[in-house]
Amino acid sequence: MTIPANFSRRNMLQRSGCGLGMLGLASLLHDEGLLETASAEDSLGNRSLNPLAPQSGHFDAKAKRVIWIFANGGPSPVDTWNYRPELTKWNGKTIREFDPAFQSTTGFFKDAIGNLMQSPFTFTPRGQCGKMVPDIFPHLGEHVDRMAVIQSGYTESNNHSPALFAMNTGFARMGFPCVGSWVTYGLGSESANLPGFVVMSDSKGRGLPKGSAANWSAGYLPGIYQGTYLRSQGEAIDNLARPASLTESAQRNELNLLKQLNGFHQEQHAADTELAARIESFELAYRMQAAAPEALDLATEPKHIQDLYGIGDEQCDHFARQCLTARRLVERGVRFVQIYSGGMDNQLSWDGHSDIEGNHRQFAGETDKPVAGLLSDMAASGLLEDTLVIWCGEFGRLPIAQTGGKPGRDHNPHHFCAWLAGGGVKGGVSYGNSDEIGYKSVENRVHLNDLHATILHLLGMDHERLTYKYNGRRFRLTDVAGHVIQDILA
Amino acid sequence: MCWRFLALRLFVLIALIQPIIADETKSLRPDHPERAKRGLALFKSSVRTTLTKHCLDCHGGKSVKGDFDLSSRELLMSSGFVTEAADDSHLVALIEHTADPHMPFKKPKLPDEALEQIRTWINLGAPYDAPLAEKSTTPALEMQVKDSDRQFWSFQPLQLITPPLVEDAAWCRTPIDHFVRARQEAVQLSPNATAARHVLIRRAYLGLIGLPPTPERVDAFVNDADPDAWSKLIDELLESPQYGERWARHWMDVARFAESHGYEQDYDRPNAYHYRDFLIRALNADLPYDKFVQWQLAGDELAPHNPLAMMATGFLGAGAFPTQLTETEFESARYDELDDMVMTTGVSFLGLSIGCARCHDHKFDPIPARDYYRMAATFSSAIRAETEVDLSPEENRKRQTAFDAQLAAKKLSAAEYEKTQLAAKFRAWLATAPAAAPQGPWEALHVVSVESSAGTKFELQPDASILSGGTAPPQEVITIIAESFRPGTKALRIEALTHDSLPQRGPGRAGNGNFVLGDLQVRFAANNGSGGDDTLEAYPTKLTAARATHQQNTDSLSVAASIDSDPVSGWAVDAGGIGKDQAAVFDLESSAKFTGSARWTITMFMNHPNPQHTLGRFRLSVSDQAQPMPEVGSSGPDAKVLHALEVLRKSSDESSDDWKTGLAWFATSDAEMSSLRQAVRDLEKQGPGLQMAKVMVTSEGLPHMSHHADDRGFPHFYPETHLLNRGDVHQKLEVVSAGFLQVLAPAGVELSHWQVTPPEGWTRTSFRRANLANWMTDSKQGGGSLAARVMVNRLWQHHFGRGLVSTPNDFGVSGERPSHPELLDWLASDLIEHGWTLKRLHKQIMLSQTYMQSGAYDESRAVLDRENILFWRRTPQRLEAEAIRDSMLAVSGRLDLTQFGPGTLDQNMTRRSIYFFIKRSQLIPMMMLYDWPEHLVSIGQRPVTTIAPQALMFMNSPQGRDYATAFATRLPQDAPEQTVREAWRLAFGRTPSDAESAASVQFLQQQPDPDQAIVNLCQAILSMNEFVYLE
Repeated sequence: MTIPANFSRRNMLQRSGCGLGMLGLASLLHDEGLLETASAEDSLGNRSLNPLAPQSGHFDAKAKRVIWIFANGGPSPVDTWNYRPELTKWNGKTIREFDPAFQSTTGFFKDAIGNLMQSPFTFTPRGQCGKMVPDIFPHLGEHVDRMAVIQSGYTESNNHSPALFAMNTGFARMGFPCVGSWVTYGLGSESANLPGFVVMSDSKGRGLPKGSAANWSAGYLPGIYQGTYLRSQGEAIDNLARPASLTESAQRNELNLLKQLNGFHQEQHAADTELAARIESFELAYRMQAAAPEALDLATEPKHIQDLYGIGDEQCDHFARQCLTARRLVERGVRFVQIYSGGMDNQLSWDGHSDIEGNHRQFAGETDKPVAGLLSDMAASGLLEDTLVIWCGEFGRLPIAQTGGKPGRDHNPHHFCAWLAGGGVKGGVSYGNSDEIGYKSVENRVHLNDLHATILHLLGMDHERLTYKYNGRRFRLTDVAGHVIQDILA
Repeated sequence: MCWRFLALRLFVLIALIQPIIADETKSLRPDHPERAKRGLALFKSSVRTTLTKHCLDCHGGKSVKGDFDLSSRELLMSSGFVTEAADDSHLVALIEHTADPHMPFKKPKLPDEALEQIRTWINLGAPYDAPLAEKSTTPALEMQVKDSDRQFWSFQPLQLITPPLVEDAAWCRTPIDHFVRARQEAVQLSPNATAARHVLIRRAYLGLIGLPPTPERVDAFVNDADPDAWSKLIDELLESPQYGERWARHWMDVARFAESHGYEQDYDRPNAYHYRDFLIRALNADLPYDKFVQWQLAGDELAPHNPLAMMATGFLGAGAFPTQLTETEFESARYDELDDMVMTTGVSFLGLSIGCARCHDHKFDPIPARDYYRMAATFSSAIRAETEVDLSPEENRKRQTAFDAQLAAKKLSAAEYEKTQLAAKFRAWLATAPAAAPQGPWEALHVVSVESSAGTKFELQPDASILSGGTAPPQEVITIIAESFRPGTKALRIEALTHDSLPQRGPGRAGNGNFVLGDLQVRFAANNGSGGDDTLEAYPTKLTAARATHQQNTDSLSVAASIDSDPVSGWAVDAGGIGKDQAAVFDLESSAKFTGSARWTITMFMNHPNPQHTLGRFRLSVSDQAQPMPEVGSSGPDAKVLHALEVLRKSSDESSDDWKTGLAWFATSDAEMSSLRQAVRDLEKQGPGLQMAKVMVTSEGLPHMSHHADDRGFPHFYPETHLLNRGDVHQKLEVVSAGFLQVLAPAGVELSHWQVTPPEGWTRTSFRRANLANWMTDSKQGGGSLAARVMVNRLWQHHFGRGLVSTPNDFGVSGERPSHPELLDWLASDLIEHGWTLKRLHKQIMLSQTYMQSGAYDESRAVLDRENILFWRRTPQRLEAEAIRDSMLAVSGRLDLTQFGPGTLDQNMTRRSIYFFIKRSQLIPMMMLYDWPEHLVSIGQRPVTTIAPQALMFMNSPQGRDYATAFATRLPQDAPEQTVREAWRLAFGRTPSDAESAASVQFLQQQPDPDQAIVNLCQAILSMNEFVYLE
């Protein structure tokens, strides 16, 4: 006979378990993470009572939390973070002169292949490191010394939703947990009163990113690790507001009665700690009702902070609010925040199929000041020291024009850029490189698995050891690949 | 804590300096020869023996599992499992059991001495004197499935098992109890006594139908003196229509069933719900489990005329699938889809992760990648399709009979009229008719001019039709000016006529003989005889309705689309109308009045993006009849009729052919005859109104469901399936034929053993899936033994909260072993022996004392079995999302038990939760809170989490409050004790304890607002642990 001998928290509670009060206390301690013994290597196992209890990673790390700015739609590398002066030389030539192997199926539109096209933006050196930054990022240019820019990303899919899934989950297919879910699963949440993983997307009604909620899905991980979507209109989170017919004191009385009735029941089930945890969950919920609206209330922020993010600036007000919200959330212990810039359809996101100049000018304009404000604000308060900020899209765009009224650029999976800043990241570096025209990443190429491995590493987790067993196999965010990019670690 | 912290710091330090070390070691150390010598000696004396004995079989000898091969130094060093330092070597972590999976796999840890030797040897550079095994090829050898692999417990055929004898026979009610009690006796653990009756009935109700019992039913059961009361209760619940709804939902998790594509646009699959309805109906009808399996894989082949069998095939196609695909993704997307089918089939029915053998041979189970691809080949041509299925044959038979009778009556009255009144009228007409040629219902327009925007040359034909010549332009607009003379025009007709010069004989000029009449404009001008053309004032005439002899569809290619606001959509005649004369009729809003002649300007727009979809030969006519039917011809009597009329005017021989010809012609101009005939046609067109359900199925040889990438040429499937290297479509190896798992078939038995012969003349499908289904359910030699074990375990798990195998979707090597292997096999044999009936299996389980015992907890016994693996008590089970919500609805009196049909996304619906529409991008929030699956992959057991947002649902959701409000109205309002008592009876099927009653009564009395007080009490009750935990 085999009876598992692992000394779980649950066993401990049962062994030390005395009366109701003790259990309540034990449960409360557990919520604060003080009794947690499970390691992130386990499947959920005995963490089901409070799956969001904070966990320690595999090793010490600077970054404790993440804010991920997702430039949804696929920003063009040569027009953002990978200045390609040689492209000017190639301007107007066909891409097959450069690479005879170019395939018309790389982009989405086969019949709109134009010639190589230089960036419409003016690049100037910024910061100590002298990183060349286009004029569409005047504010972000201030922060290049904090950034590690990856200039050599590549992915497999040339189509939005698989590429979005790949960037978020490591797999181009639907059904796998996203980075935010893995991180929350691995580290839990520091906040008892707020969701551990929060997602915001376009608040101007331009739609969700393609693939919608699957981008912040927990896949086969327990549903608790999926991203909580913060609505920009109406109630931000479900069920936070009391029903109209229930006053605050009436609800308190009701919960007191509930506690009392559950207590009678608990007398006969003293050993079943799930029941005790559920009793406690009502008290937590009661506190959440107050905590969440407080966290989302930007009015309490001083004017100069609001200005710093660009609140009130018509072009970027919406994104500024989301960036400031993100800071308030991570400050209160939320582990992972992801914000999507742009909506679903072409031109309503960074998907600049036509008029790349107008498109990127618009979306850079919507985000430049807010993201820069976020970095400045967190740097000033010290929060940036242990917060990882990520900027990327799902793929890049071709250096050739997509033909049409105003030239655009079509999808390119072979090359994209991303940058990291904050906790544990070496600032002022550019890592890897593309060919001279920005068509393919060639030097120190960074696969999504590498990017994910690096993100986990910065958070103190070994991507090969953060696993979840499901249907007979231990799954990883990085599947069977991934290398930490050592050169961008501080 | 402190030293651990230090260790972590050290680790980080090592990690940081590691690259430097690595750089230095690129050149050989000065002491290399000395170290190599020591290492080699160690290898020869001990390490070689250890590796050969404990590792080689799976890692380079007989197979290569985990992509790790240590048979030679080159392979070992290139594996990534070993570095220069033992501390950094993953291999060391695995064998020292500090990393998963512990090695040797599922075997005891190596002795410390051996571990130390391996460590030292690695630190000395891991030298080999010779490879451990000879290798002829570099690529990993293909896994061979051997008889020893078939010895693994779950792969063995079921054996005859006798329940063991026990000392405590008094406790046992059924053979199940003997197995359970014997295990307990071995560790001197005693089980609980039978639970109280009100507990039992709640357990049975929620377990079997997912709803709580009514107070009346509880009373009846508690007071039932019949010794068979429990057995009768179980039967009653198994016969309840709600049983299927409860257990179908369990299976839907396993089947990753949802009703939308997922991915980009997440299009709905509006007819997918029939699969859910199949599950409910099949379970309620106690469809034998082997059939249940077979139909889900191949119902369309095994029982194509049975609607349930067709509905069952929704299983294979229920997975997510991208909606937006580019050419480069077509093939890999299809292989992903095959993977979804193989993976879900393997996990659902066999509890095997066959999907893990996609990129390489399975790392743990004896499943070669070849087996995976052969199984994928079984599904090569299976696609999602929609087909019509007769779900109510009895009603449809009635409809057909009624229709036949009605039609016969209409035909009869038309025939009678023709024989009597029409003949009389004709006789009278003949007697008084003028000598002039009579007129038909249609007057062909006299063409004045015809012009094309594309310059087409036209040729006027003797029959007043217009024939296009030259090469067909991509698009064109044709304008005709023509005249008519018969006053009171009410309709315009366009005949699209065939001609030998046209592709496929026309009537259109496209390659396929089609055309699209995108838009039609008609102007009319009266010429009342007062002057020439100059006086005419043409004005537009509105067309109000359209009919055609044939139209391509009822949507954008219908005749009605020619007069809609979309200039592109319009009348087309493919799908049955090519090569035949066709006619379309358009009604004029008001009849055209004139005394002399009318001049018509008719413009036909043919601008469809499909090129050359323009008319080849056409004729325009008008009619003074209201709403005439579309017909070809009859623009006036032809020569034969004229001749007949001439003869008849002289002598009307009513038996002659001329009479028939004349009468037939006369009939076309007789309004009453026309209307009688029209009535027949209308009825025929209306049809018997048979109610056919459109069902999404997975089959072969049916038109595929439309897909976003169809216009890019997405083929939906590839007829051949290849073995792929590393799962990569760009690394195709040979084409594989359909097949099953070798490990679940005796060595030497050919696949043809499971061949199912299709009916005579069957060609639509390959019958590969039928073969698979046959093998899967063959309990003698195929997968049936395992399939039965897996299903028995699922039922057990749902009844007890934990399966006999605690990994319900993994019966393979890395899954857990059964806690009671003999019991599992005994139940599986019993299931098969009794015709695979699941209802009987439920009853077997529920009649056992093991099931009926109480949940009482006892620390002195718990120390022997904390996890209750030996079933000495009932562990409380948290209800699932559906059972919680459905119970709330039931207790509040708001539950709507309507069954079947399309689901909804509306959280306020009051039907059972199984009727939520499962849209992958909009999963029901209320359900998700309670661990609803994402419906993307097979889930054998939902996690059970306890989180604050669940409490918020009870406290604040509009639904939670709504249920409480409705619940309150069911209670006595004036006497608090009565209110509380009735509330407890409704919610828990028992009376409240004194303490519960006192606390609740006090609560009611202290609330300031008495109206809300009862609602608040109800909300608290619905939130109680006892409400969501089942004992």
